[in-house]
Amino acid sequence: MRTEYFIPVILFFPVIILQITFIPLISVYGIIPDLVIILLVFYTIQNGQIYGTILGFILGLLFDLITGGLLGSSIISKTCAGFTAGYFSNENKRDFYLRTYMFSVVVLAAAVIDSVVNSVFSSIDLRANFLQLVIEQGFFPGLYTALLSVIIVIFMPKRSFT
Amino acid sequence: MIRLILQIWESFKEYIILVLLIITGLVIISVNNKPAVKQVRAFAFATFAASTSFISDVINISGIKSDNERLRERNAELMLQINRLREYGIVNAQLKGMIGIKDTTQLPLFPASVVAKSLSRSQGVLTINAGTQDGVRIGMPVINDQGLVGIVYSTSDRFAIVRTLKNMDLKLTVKDERSRIDGIMKWTGSELVIIDVPKTYDVEPGDRIITSDLSTVVAVPLPIGIVTGLSNVRTGIFNEITVKPFVNFEAVDYVFVVGLVQSKQKNELELNFYNR
Repeated sequence: MRTEYFIPVILFFPVIILQITFIPLISVYGIIPDLVIILLVFYTIQNGQIYGTILGFILGLLFDLITGGLLGSSIISKTCAGFTAGYFSNENKRDFYLRTYMFSVVVLAAAVIDSVVNSVFSSIDLRANFLQLVIEQGFFPGLYTALLSVIIVIFMPKRSFT
Repeated sequence: MIRLILQIWESFKEYIILVLLIITGLVIISVNNKPAVKQVRAFAFATFAASTSFISDVINISGIKSDNERLRERNAELMLQINRLREYGIVNAQLKGMIGIKDTTQLPLFPASVVAKSLSRSQGVLTINAGTQDGVRIGMPVINDQGLVGIVYSTSDRFAIVRTLKNMDLKLTVKDERSRIDGIMKWTGSELVIIDVPKTYDVEPGDRIITSDLSTVVAVPLPIGIVTGLSNVRTGIFNEITVKPFVNFEAVDYVFVVGLVQSKQKNELELNFYNR
């Protein structure tokens, strides 16, 4: 098995430390970007859909264990996010998705799915309007995460990682 | 047969893996409250919290100067307030002595700082650097200078996880400080609401909301927030009262755990909404 497959799991730990210590300081109206999704999307585009789905499961499990949230909600949401990002891991277009602003669009799609699925599993409220849930709890955090991922695109080395 | 299975696997392996992993996730959700799972989680967060506490200390140092100035000002305000309350206290003690009512006992406070925040829209959770070694127990209320922050949900030796008021799994019995009306408060994912309050009850925007004496979780009055509005006014017989919390959960750095545990005797007699 290729050892580079484990790199995102190792990178997860510094990323989650940032996520739970520094990121809450830059929240806007309680909306917080999710750095773990950026990591997940990046490595999913590089390594394919099956890898992304399994990586989403592992990162979700670690996320739930470390943050003390409902165990399982991030597992499912990040598995779905990894699966979604996997649709953009076409070998011929990998560079296009990783090194252009398309990366932020993929992050937006994955982050919205992650936030919506997470909200559904951790806060089922039958009276809540689903569209409202998608916009408030899915789109806004997703948009913030996508904006943050622009930094990755800007500072991405031209010849590396692949 | 094997060939057919292999063919199906080849064609749909991404979907098969997705479904299997989601089913595993659902199974994990269903065993969330098992003691063994709780132990694993307590071990995981305690191990990790040790490293995050160092980083959060470094981040917090930058805010200490402004915090100090703010706290000095607050101290002066509180000193004036205490003087006034001391006068009331003396009169109160005399009056209570005359009619024979028992006074409330003083509660111990355990100081702690927040080492990690996981503030998703529905599951607000904080990790604090005080645990069972410091006297912290599951169910204890956590406060700061602004009001009630949340309730201790899980503990390890040196750390504890706190469910904030912005957590959908936390429901509290609260009351309107002015009209003394009780109700159940919960987080909907976007706002704090007191649910199913009959329309005939006297609750108005601007009223202060505090924890209720009826609560088996927090039976001492702690400030929670202020009523900002009534919703669902036109339909049905119940109002939903929207509450703006005093605490700014994104900016919480230092807290106190109140040394108050749930009354088992009371729990046996009443419904305890926290455990539901």
